[in-house]
Amino acid sequence: MTEYLDPTDSVAVPRKTAPRPSSLDGKVVTLLDISKAKGDHLLDRLEELLRERTGVKSIVRKKKPTFARPAPEPLRQEILGATDVVIEALAD
Amino acid sequence: MPRKTAPPRGQKRATKSVTGRPAVSTPRRAEPRVSEFPRGKSGVSEPRRSVNRPPTNRAGQAAPAPTDPIEQLYARGLTDGLPVVPPTRERVQRALDALGRPADELIALVPPNYGRATVEKIAINAVMAGCRPEYLPVVMAAVEAVCDEAFDLHGVSATTNAPAPLVIVNGPIRLALDINCGAGVFGPGWRANATIGRALRFVCVNLGGAVPGVVSMSTLAHPGRYTYCIGEREEASPWESLAVEHGFAPADNTVALLAADAPITVYDQRSRTAPDLCATIAATMAVIENHKMTHWGDTLLVLSPEHAAIIAGDGWHKADVRRFLFERLRRPVRELVPGKNGGDGLPEHVLRKFADPAHNATLIPKFREPENIKVVVAGGSAGRFSAVVAGWSFSKGSNLVMRRIR
Repeated sequence: MTEYLDPTDSVAVPRKTAPRPSSLDGKVVTLLDISKAKGDHLLDRLEELLRERTGVKSIVRKKKPTFARPAPEPLRQEILGATDVVIEALAD
Repeated sequence: MPRKTAPPRGQKRATKSVTGRPAVSTPRRAEPRVSEFPRGKSGVSEPRRSVNRPPTNRAGQAAPAPTDPIEQLYARGLTDGLPVVPPTRERVQRALDALGRPADELIALVPPNYGRATVEKIAINAVMAGCRPEYLPVVMAAVEAVCDEAFDLHGVSATTNAPAPLVIVNGPIRLALDINCGAGVFGPGWRANATIGRALRFVCVNLGGAVPGVVSMSTLAHPGRYTYCIGEREEASPWESLAVEHGFAPADNTVALLAADAPITVYDQRSRTAPDLCATIAATMAVIENHKMTHWGDTLLVLSPEHAAIIAGDGWHKADVRRFLFERLRRPVRELVPGKNGGDGLPEHVLRKFADPAHNATLIPKFREPENIKVVVAGGSAGRFSAVVAGWSFSKGSNLVMRRIR
Protein backbone atom coordinates (compact mmCIF):
# COMPACT_ATOMS: atom_id res chain seq x y z
CA MET A 1 0.00 0.00 0.00
CA THR A 2 1.28 3.45 -0.87
CA GLU A 3 2.30 5.57 2.07
CA TYR A 4 0.70 8.96 2.47
CA LEU A 5 2.04 11.62 4.77
CA ASP A 6 -0.23 12.92 7.50
CA PRO A 7 -1.54 16.47 6.88
CA THR A 8 -2.71 16.82 10.49
CA ASP A 9 -0.80 17.41 13.71
CA SER A 10 -1.38 14.43 15.95
CA VAL A 11 -0.32 16.42 19.03
CA ALA A 12 -3.00 19.07 18.61
CA VAL A 13 -6.00 17.08 19.72
CA PRO A 14 -9.20 18.81 20.73
CA ARG A 15 -9.27 19.49 24.46
CA LYS A 16 -11.40 17.35 26.75
CA THR A 17 -14.07 18.93 28.91
CA ALA A 18 -13.53 19.00 32.67
CA PRO A 19 -15.33 16.43 34.84
CA ARG A 20 -18.84 17.55 35.83
CA PRO A 21 -19.73 17.88 39.52
CA SER A 22 -22.64 15.74 40.71
CA SER A 23 -24.13 18.65 42.65
CA LEU A 24 -23.80 22.45 42.72
CA ASP A 25 -24.20 22.59 46.50
CA GLY A 26 -21.47 24.70 48.08
CA LYS A 27 -19.91 25.48 44.70
CA VAL A 28 -18.72 28.83 43.37
CA VAL A 29 -20.28 29.35 39.94
CA THR A 30 -19.00 31.88 37.39
CA LEU A 31 -21.41 33.09 34.74
CA LEU A 32 -19.39 34.29 31.76
CA ASP A 33 -21.01 36.76 29.37
CA ILE A 34 -19.28 36.62 25.98
CA SER A 35 -20.55 40.11 25.05
CA LYS A 36 -23.16 39.01 22.55
CA ALA A 37 -26.43 40.89 22.40
CA LYS A 38 -28.82 39.75 25.14
CA GLY A 39 -26.37 37.28 26.66
CA ASP A 40 -27.00 39.07 29.95
CA HIS A 41 -30.74 38.25 29.71
CA LEU A 42 -29.96 34.57 29.61
CA LEU A 43 -27.42 34.78 32.43
CA ASP A 44 -29.73 36.89 34.64
CA ARG A 45 -32.36 34.17 34.39
CA LEU A 46 -29.81 31.42 34.98
CA GLU A 47 -28.60 33.23 38.09
CA GLU A 48 -32.18 33.44 39.40
CA LEU A 49 -32.73 29.74 38.79
CA LEU A 50 -29.41 28.73 40.33
CA ARG A 51 -30.19 30.70 43.50
CA GLU A 52 -33.73 29.32 43.60
CA ARG A 53 -33.01 25.67 42.93
CA THR A 54 -29.46 24.93 44.09
CA GLY A 55 -27.30 25.43 47.14
CA VAL A 56 -24.53 27.33 45.34
CA LYS A 57 -22.07 29.05 47.63
CA SER A 58 -21.81 32.11 45.41
CA ILE A 59 -22.27 33.33 41.86
CA VAL A 60 -19.65 35.44 40.13
CA ARG A 61 -20.42 37.42 36.97
CA LYS A 62 -17.66 37.98 34.40
CA LYS A 63 -17.61 39.36 30.85
CA LYS A 64 -15.36 38.83 27.85
CA PRO A 65 -14.29 42.05 26.07
CA THR A 66 -15.53 40.64 22.74
CA PHE A 67 -17.23 37.50 21.47
CA ALA A 68 -14.94 37.58 18.43
CA ARG A 69 -11.86 36.42 20.32
CA PRO A 70 -10.98 33.93 23.06
CA ALA A 71 -11.16 35.20 26.65
CA PRO A 72 -7.91 36.99 27.59
CA GLU A 73 -5.50 34.85 29.59
CA PRO A 74 -5.76 36.95 32.80
CA LEU A 75 -9.55 36.55 32.76
CA ARG A 76 -9.21 32.80 32.25
CA GLN A 77 -6.76 32.52 35.13
CA GLU A 78 -9.00 34.62 37.33
CA ILE A 79 -11.96 32.33 36.66
CA LEU A 80 -9.84 29.20 37.04
CA GLY A 81 -8.52 30.27 40.43
CA ALA A 82 -11.81 31.28 42.01
CA THR A 83 -14.43 29.01 40.51
CA ASP A 84 -15.68 25.43 40.69
CA VAL A 85 -18.08 25.71 37.74
CA VAL A 86 -18.27 28.11 34.80
CA ILE A 87 -21.31 28.65 32.61
CA GLU A 88 -20.70 30.54 29.37
CA ALA A 89 -23.58 32.22 27.59
CA LEU A 90 -23.73 32.07 23.82
CA ALA A 91 -26.69 34.19 22.93
CA ASP A 92 -28.16 36.25 20.12
CA MET B 1 -0.20 -2.74 6.54
CA PRO B 2 1.72 0.41 7.33
CA ARG B 3 5.38 0.27 6.63
CA LYS B 4 8.08 2.21 8.33
CA THR B 5 10.28 4.47 6.30
CA ALA B 6 13.38 6.46 7.08
CA PRO B 7 12.72 9.96 8.40
CA PRO B 8 12.95 12.62 5.72
CA ARG B 9 16.10 14.61 5.38
CA GLY B 10 16.61 17.21 8.06
CA GLN B 11 13.92 15.85 10.32
CA LYS B 12 14.48 13.97 13.55
CA ARG B 13 11.04 12.58 14.11
CA ALA B 14 9.49 10.40 11.44
CA THR B 15 6.22 11.78 10.19
CA LYS B 16 3.42 9.44 11.00
CA SER B 17 1.78 8.24 7.85
CA VAL B 18 -1.94 8.34 7.34
CA THR B 19 -1.92 4.65 6.68
CA GLY B 20 -0.07 4.15 9.95
CA ARG B 21 -3.05 5.32 11.97
CA PRO B 22 -5.12 2.72 13.75
CA ALA B 23 -8.01 1.61 11.64
CA VAL B 24 -11.40 3.03 12.51
CA SER B 25 -12.89 0.20 14.52
CA THR B 26 -16.53 1.19 14.51
CA PRO B 27 -18.45 1.27 11.27
CA ARG B 28 -19.26 4.77 10.12
CA ARG B 29 -22.84 5.77 10.56
CA ALA B 30 -24.62 7.51 7.79
CA GLU B 31 -25.53 11.10 8.61
CA PRO B 32 -29.13 11.31 9.69
CA ARG B 33 -31.62 13.12 7.52
CA VAL B 34 -32.63 16.49 8.89
CA SER B 35 -35.87 15.03 10.19
CA GLU B 36 -33.87 12.56 12.28
CA PHE B 37 -31.67 15.08 14.06
CA PRO B 38 -32.24 15.05 17.80
CA ARG B 39 -34.42 18.02 18.63
CA GLY B 40 -33.96 20.22 21.64
CA LYS B 41 -36.71 22.40 22.98
CA SER B 42 -35.56 25.40 21.04
CA GLY B 43 -34.51 23.89 17.76
CA VAL B 44 -32.52 21.36 15.87
CA SER B 45 -29.20 20.02 17.09
CA GLU B 46 -26.24 19.59 14.80
CA PRO B 47 -25.62 16.13 13.43
CA ARG B 48 -22.69 14.55 15.23
CA ARG B 49 -19.53 14.24 13.24
CA SER B 50 -16.04 13.13 14.08
CA VAL B 51 -12.99 14.42 12.30
CA ASN B 52 -12.48 10.97 10.86
CA ARG B 53 -15.93 10.79 9.39
CA PRO B 54 -16.04 12.12 5.87
CA PRO B 55 -18.78 14.64 5.22
CA THR B 56 -19.60 12.98 1.93
CA ASN B 57 -20.43 9.56 3.36
CA ARG B 58 -23.98 8.48 2.70
CA ALA B 59 -25.88 5.29 3.38
CA GLY B 60 -26.59 3.11 0.40
CA GLN B 61 -23.40 3.89 -1.47
CA ALA B 62 -21.38 1.02 -2.80
CA ALA B 63 -18.28 0.49 -0.69
CA PRO B 64 -15.33 2.17 -2.42
CA ALA B 65 -12.45 0.05 -3.57
CA PRO B 66 -10.12 -0.02 -0.54
CA THR B 67 -7.06 0.36 -2.74
CA ASP B 68 -8.23 3.49 -4.55
CA PRO B 69 -6.04 6.29 -3.15
CA ILE B 70 -8.70 8.93 -3.74
CA GLU B 71 -11.28 6.91 -1.82
CA GLN B 72 -8.81 6.13 0.97
CA LEU B 73 -8.37 9.82 1.60
CA TYR B 74 -12.12 10.37 1.53
CA ALA B 75 -12.49 7.57 4.06
CA ARG B 76 -10.02 9.33 6.36
CA GLY B 77 -12.06 12.52 6.27
CA LEU B 78 -9.15 14.40 4.72
CA THR B 79 -10.91 16.14 1.87
CA ASP B 80 -13.05 19.22 1.45
CA GLY B 81 -15.58 17.15 -0.47
CA LEU B 82 -13.58 17.29 -3.69
CA PRO B 83 -10.87 14.72 -4.39
CA VAL B 84 -7.38 15.55 -3.12
CA VAL B 85 -3.99 14.71 -4.57
CA PRO B 86 -2.57 11.82 -2.51
CA PRO B 87 0.32 13.24 -0.46
CA THR B 88 2.95 10.67 -1.29
CA ARG B 89 6.42 11.08 0.14
CA GLU B 90 7.76 11.68 -3.38
CA ARG B 91 5.36 14.53 -4.12
CA VAL B 92 5.94 16.18 -0.76
CA GLN B 93 9.70 15.81 -1.13
CA ARG B 94 9.58 17.51 -4.54
CA ALA B 95 7.79 20.45 -2.95
CA LEU B 96 10.29 20.59 -0.09
CA ASP B 97 13.25 20.39 -2.49
CA ALA B 98 11.87 23.29 -4.53
CA LEU B 99 11.33 25.36 -1.40
CA GLY B 100 14.76 24.69 0.08
CA ARG B 101 13.72 25.29 3.69
CA PRO B 102 14.13 22.79 6.56
CA ALA B 103 11.14 20.44 6.76
CA ASP B 104 10.85 20.85 10.52
CA GLU B 105 10.99 24.67 10.53
CA LEU B 106 7.97 25.91 12.46
CA ILE B 107 6.07 28.57 10.53
CA ALA B 108 3.15 29.07 12.93
CA LEU B 109 0.77 27.48 15.41
CA VAL B 110 -2.65 27.37 13.78
CA PRO B 111 -5.64 28.43 15.93
CA PRO B 112 -7.92 27.29 17.38
CA ASN B 113 -6.28 23.88 18.04
CA TYR B 114 -2.76 25.32 17.66
CA GLY B 115 -1.48 22.52 15.47
CA ARG B 116 2.15 23.00 14.41
CA ALA B 117 2.41 24.30 10.88
CA THR B 118 5.92 23.16 10.00
CA VAL B 119 7.25 23.59 6.50
CA GLU B 120 6.62 19.88 5.89
CA LYS B 121 3.05 19.93 7.20
CA ILE B 122 2.23 22.92 5.03
CA ALA B 123 3.84 21.17 2.06
CA ILE B 124 1.71 18.05 2.64
CA ASN B 125 -1.46 20.14 2.68
CA ALA B 126 -0.33 22.09 -0.38
CA VAL B 127 0.30 18.86 -2.30
CA MET B 128 -3.16 17.61 -1.36
CA ALA B 129 -4.66 20.88 -2.59
CA GLY B 130 -2.96 20.43 -5.97
CA CYS B 131 -0.25 23.10 -5.64
CA ARG B 132 2.79 23.09 -7.88
CA PRO B 133 6.01 23.17 -5.81
CA GLU B 134 6.70 26.79 -6.78
CA TYR B 135 3.45 27.93 -5.13
CA LEU B 136 4.72 26.93 -1.69
CA PRO B 137 6.25 30.31 -0.74
CA VAL B 138 2.87 31.98 -1.29
CA VAL B 139 1.12 29.38 0.85
CA MET B 140 3.73 29.77 3.61
CA ALA B 141 3.26 33.54 3.70
CA ALA B 142 -0.52 33.11 3.77
CA VAL B 143 -0.26 30.70 6.72
CA GLU B 144 1.99 33.16 8.57
CA ALA B 145 -0.53 35.94 7.96
CA VAL B 146 -3.66 34.10 9.14
CA CYS B 147 -1.85 32.95 12.27
CA ASP B 148 -0.99 36.54 13.21
CA GLU B 149 -2.96 37.54 16.30
CA ALA B 150 -4.41 40.51 14.38
CA PHE B 151 -6.20 38.14 11.98
CA ASP B 152 -8.02 36.34 14.80
CA LEU B 153 -8.15 32.96 13.06
CA HIS B 154 -9.67 31.51 16.22
CA GLY B 155 -12.75 33.64 15.67
CA VAL B 156 -12.73 33.26 11.89
CA SER B 157 -12.64 29.47 12.14
CA ALA B 158 -15.20 29.13 14.92
CA THR B 159 -17.79 31.85 14.26
CA THR B 160 -21.38 31.19 13.21
CA ASN B 161 -20.83 33.96 10.63
CA ALA B 162 -19.42 33.05 7.21
CA PRO B 163 -15.89 34.41 6.64
CA ALA B 164 -13.19 32.62 4.68
CA PRO B 165 -9.56 33.75 4.47
CA LEU B 166 -9.13 35.57 1.14
CA VAL B 167 -5.57 35.71 -0.25
CA ILE B 168 -4.74 38.84 -2.28
CA VAL B 169 -1.38 38.59 -4.04
CA ASN B 170 0.73 41.57 -5.10
CA GLY B 171 4.07 41.80 -6.86
CA PRO B 172 5.85 40.23 -9.84
CA ILE B 173 5.19 36.71 -8.51
CA ARG B 174 1.61 37.02 -9.82
CA LEU B 175 2.95 36.87 -13.36
CA ALA B 176 5.64 34.28 -12.59
CA LEU B 177 3.08 31.87 -11.10
CA ASP B 178 0.22 32.79 -13.46
CA ILE B 179 -2.03 33.94 -10.64
CA ASN B 180 -5.20 35.27 -12.21
CA CYS B 181 -5.79 38.98 -11.74
CA GLY B 182 -7.97 39.48 -14.81
CA ALA B 183 -11.13 38.04 -16.32
CA GLY B 184 -13.05 35.88 -13.89
CA VAL B 185 -10.65 36.72 -11.07
CA PHE B 186 -12.81 35.15 -8.35
CA GLY B 187 -13.74 32.17 -10.53
CA PRO B 188 -12.26 28.85 -11.60
CA GLY B 189 -9.73 28.04 -14.28
CA TRP B 190 -6.37 29.03 -12.81
CA ARG B 191 -4.39 26.40 -10.98
CA ALA B 192 -2.47 28.87 -8.82
CA ASN B 193 -5.56 30.67 -7.52
CA ALA B 194 -7.50 27.45 -7.08
CA THR B 195 -4.83 25.54 -5.21
CA ILE B 196 -3.14 28.26 -3.13
CA GLY B 197 -6.47 29.19 -1.55
CA ARG B 198 -7.35 25.55 -1.09
CA ALA B 199 -4.00 24.76 0.53
CA LEU B 200 -4.55 27.51 3.08
CA ARG B 201 -7.99 26.13 3.78
CA PHE B 202 -6.55 22.62 4.34
CA VAL B 203 -4.02 24.06 6.80
CA CYS B 204 -6.84 25.77 8.73
CA VAL B 205 -8.78 22.50 8.91
CA ASN B 206 -6.05 19.87 9.24
CA LEU B 207 -3.71 21.82 11.52
CA GLY B 208 -6.07 24.40 13.01
CA GLY B 209 -8.98 22.03 13.58
CA ALA B 210 -11.59 24.10 11.70
CA VAL B 211 -13.66 21.05 10.79
CA PRO B 212 -17.09 22.12 9.50
CA GLY B 213 -19.86 21.31 11.97
CA VAL B 214 -17.40 20.33 14.70
CA VAL B 215 -15.28 23.41 15.45
CA SER B 216 -16.25 25.60 12.53
CA MET B 217 -19.87 26.37 13.31
CA SER B 218 -20.67 28.76 10.45
CA THR B 219 -24.40 28.75 9.86
CA LEU B 220 -24.10 29.19 6.09
CA ALA B 221 -20.41 29.63 5.16
CA HIS B 222 -19.83 30.45 1.47
CA PRO B 223 -18.10 28.91 -1.54
CA GLY B 224 -14.87 30.81 -0.80
CA ARG B 225 -14.25 28.24 1.90
CA TYR B 226 -13.20 25.83 -0.85
CA THR B 227 -10.63 28.28 -2.15
CA TYR B 228 -10.31 32.07 -2.21
CA CYS B 229 -7.30 33.68 -3.85
CA ILE B 230 -6.93 36.58 -6.27
CA GLY B 231 -4.18 38.77 -7.62
CA GLU B 232 -4.39 42.54 -7.94
CA ARG B 233 -4.23 43.60 -11.59
CA GLU B 234 -1.52 46.13 -10.95
CA GLU B 235 -0.89 46.65 -14.68
CA ALA B 236 -4.45 47.94 -15.17
CA SER B 237 -4.54 50.09 -12.06
CA PRO B 238 -4.21 53.88 -12.25
CA TRP B 239 -2.93 53.90 -8.66
CA GLU B 240 -0.44 52.34 -6.28
CA SER B 241 -1.07 48.70 -5.45
CA LEU B 242 -2.47 47.53 -2.13
CA ALA B 243 1.03 46.40 -1.13
CA VAL B 244 2.68 49.73 -2.00
CA GLU B 245 -0.03 51.58 -0.08
CA HIS B 246 0.93 49.48 2.94
CA GLY B 247 4.63 50.30 2.74
CA PHE B 248 6.00 47.58 0.48
CA ALA B 249 8.06 48.22 -2.65
CA PRO B 250 6.58 47.54 -6.13
CA ALA B 251 9.12 44.73 -6.57
CA ASP B 252 8.10 43.02 -3.32
CA ASN B 253 5.90 39.96 -3.48
CA THR B 254 3.22 40.01 -0.79
CA VAL B 255 0.03 38.41 0.38
CA ALA B 256 -2.78 40.28 2.11
CA LEU B 257 -5.23 38.16 4.08
CA LEU B 258 -8.78 39.26 4.72
CA ALA B 259 -11.41 37.27 6.65
CA ALA B 260 -13.89 37.74 3.87
CA ASP B 261 -17.50 37.27 2.92
CA ALA B 262 -18.44 36.28 -0.61
CA PRO B 263 -18.10 39.05 -3.21
CA ILE B 264 -21.19 41.14 -3.97
CA THR B 265 -21.34 42.45 -7.52
CA VAL B 266 -21.86 46.17 -8.11
CA TYR B 267 -23.44 46.70 -11.52
CA ASP B 268 -23.05 50.21 -12.89
CA GLN B 269 -22.94 50.61 -16.67
CA ARG B 270 -23.97 54.24 -16.87
CA SER B 271 -21.98 56.32 -14.41
CA ARG B 272 -19.33 58.40 -16.11
CA THR B 273 -18.01 60.38 -13.16
CA ALA B 274 -16.29 59.37 -9.95
CA PRO B 275 -19.04 60.73 -7.65
CA ASP B 276 -21.78 59.00 -9.64
CA LEU B 277 -20.00 55.64 -9.63
CA CYS B 278 -18.96 55.87 -6.00
CA ALA B 279 -22.54 56.67 -5.02
CA THR B 280 -23.62 53.37 -6.58
CA ILE B 281 -20.81 51.52 -4.82
CA ALA B 282 -21.70 53.16 -1.51
CA ALA B 283 -25.26 51.90 -1.74
CA THR B 284 -23.95 48.33 -1.99
CA MET B 285 -21.50 48.83 0.86
CA ALA B 286 -24.28 50.24 3.01
CA VAL B 287 -25.84 46.79 3.40
CA ILE B 288 -22.69 44.98 4.53
CA GLU B 289 -23.74 42.59 7.34
CA ASN B 290 -27.03 44.47 7.52
CA HIS B 291 -28.25 47.92 6.56
CA LYS B 292 -27.83 49.20 10.11
CA MET B 293 -24.44 47.69 10.95
CA THR B 294 -21.95 50.39 11.96
CA HIS B 295 -18.29 50.77 12.99
CA TRP B 296 -17.27 48.03 10.60
CA GLY B 297 -13.63 47.32 9.87
CA ASP B 298 -11.44 46.17 7.00
CA THR B 299 -13.40 45.49 3.83
CA LEU B 300 -12.28 45.07 0.24
CA LEU B 301 -13.52 47.03 -2.76
CA VAL B 302 -12.47 45.38 -6.02
CA LEU B 303 -12.75 47.89 -8.86
CA SER B 304 -12.77 46.54 -12.39
CA PRO B 305 -10.33 48.25 -14.77
CA GLU B 306 -13.19 50.13 -16.48
CA HIS B 307 -14.60 51.40 -13.20
CA ALA B 308 -11.11 52.35 -11.98
CA ALA B 309 -10.55 54.31 -15.20
CA ILE B 310 -13.77 56.28 -14.68
CA ILE B 311 -12.74 57.23 -11.16
CA ALA B 312 -9.14 58.05 -12.08
CA GLY B 313 -10.43 60.04 -15.08
CA ASP B 314 -11.85 62.55 -12.60
CA GLY B 315 -8.44 62.87 -10.97
CA TRP B 316 -9.45 60.85 -7.92
CA HIS B 317 -7.01 58.66 -6.05
CA LYS B 318 -7.80 55.72 -3.78
CA ALA B 319 -7.83 58.07 -0.79
CA ASP B 320 -10.56 60.14 -2.45
CA VAL B 321 -12.65 57.01 -2.99
CA ARG B 322 -12.22 56.02 0.65
CA ARG B 323 -13.11 59.48 1.92
CA PHE B 324 -16.20 59.74 -0.31
CA LEU B 325 -17.47 56.31 0.73
CA PHE B 326 -16.70 56.87 4.42
CA GLU B 327 -18.63 60.15 4.50
CA ARG B 328 -21.54 58.97 2.39
CA LEU B 329 -21.95 55.84 4.51
CA ARG B 330 -22.61 57.71 7.76
CA ARG B 331 -26.20 57.64 8.94
CA PRO B 332 -28.07 59.47 11.68
CA VAL B 333 -28.78 57.61 14.92
CA ARG B 334 -32.52 57.92 14.31
CA GLU B 335 -32.20 55.67 11.22
CA LEU B 336 -30.21 53.05 13.13
CA VAL B 337 -32.56 52.39 16.03
CA PRO B 338 -33.49 48.73 16.52
CA GLY B 339 -37.14 47.97 15.89
CA LYS B 340 -37.58 50.65 13.24
CA ASN B 341 -37.11 49.41 9.66
CA GLY B 342 -35.73 46.13 10.99
CA GLY B 343 -35.26 44.64 14.43
CA ASP B 344 -31.48 44.92 14.47
CA GLY B 345 -29.58 48.16 14.86
CA LEU B 346 -27.25 50.02 17.18
CA PRO B 347 -26.26 48.00 20.24
CA GLU B 348 -27.53 49.06 23.67
CA HIS B 349 -24.19 50.44 24.85
CA VAL B 350 -24.20 52.90 21.93
CA LEU B 351 -27.89 53.80 22.25
CA ARG B 352 -27.33 54.71 25.90
CA LYS B 353 -25.14 57.60 24.79
CA PHE B 354 -28.13 59.40 23.28
CA ALA B 355 -31.06 60.83 25.26
CA ASP B 356 -33.60 60.37 22.49
CA PRO B 357 -32.16 58.01 19.84
CA ALA B 358 -35.39 57.92 17.80
CA HIS B 359 -34.93 61.62 16.95
CA ASN B 360 -31.17 62.03 17.18
CA ALA B 361 -29.32 63.25 14.06
CA THR B 362 -25.75 62.41 15.13
CA LEU B 363 -23.99 60.72 12.22
CA ILE B 364 -22.63 57.23 12.91
CA PRO B 365 -20.12 55.83 10.42
CA LYS B 366 -20.49 52.47 8.67
CA PHE B 367 -16.70 52.06 8.83
CA ARG B 368 -14.52 52.97 11.77
CA GLU B 369 -11.98 54.76 9.53
CA PRO B 370 -11.74 55.56 5.79
CA GLU B 371 -8.58 53.40 5.80
CA ASN B 372 -10.71 50.33 6.57
CA ILE B 373 -11.88 50.45 2.95
CA LYS B 374 -9.16 48.60 1.04
CA VAL B 375 -9.21 49.25 -2.71
CA VAL B 376 -7.70 47.02 -5.39
CA VAL B 377 -8.12 46.83 -9.15
CA ALA B 378 -8.83 43.40 -10.61
CA GLY B 379 -10.95 41.64 -13.19
CA GLY B 380 -11.38 41.63 -16.95
CA SER B 381 -10.68 44.60 -19.18
CA ALA B 382 -14.29 44.71 -20.37
CA GLY B 383 -17.18 45.24 -18.02
CA ARG B 384 -18.47 47.93 -15.73
CA PHE B 385 -18.75 45.73 -12.70
CA SER B 386 -17.00 45.95 -9.39
CA ALA B 387 -17.27 43.86 -6.24
CA VAL B 388 -17.55 44.50 -2.53
CA VAL B 389 -16.00 41.88 -0.28
CA ALA B 390 -16.98 42.51 3.31
CA GLY B 391 -14.49 41.62 6.00
CA TRP B 392 -15.43 39.87 9.24
CA SER B 393 -14.21 42.91 11.02
CA PHE B 394 -16.03 43.81 14.20
CA SER B 395 -14.06 46.15 16.40
CA LYS B 396 -11.59 43.89 18.25
CA GLY B 397 -12.21 41.28 15.52
CA SER B 398 -10.21 40.39 12.42
CA ASN B 399 -7.97 42.82 10.53
CA LEU B 400 -6.29 42.67 7.12
CA VAL B 401 -2.81 41.18 7.62
CA MET B 402 0.02 41.41 5.08
CA ARG B 403 3.20 39.37 4.74
CA ARG B 404 6.14 39.45 2.37
CA ILE B 405 6.54 36.25 0.36
CA ARG B 406 10.01 34.85 1.04
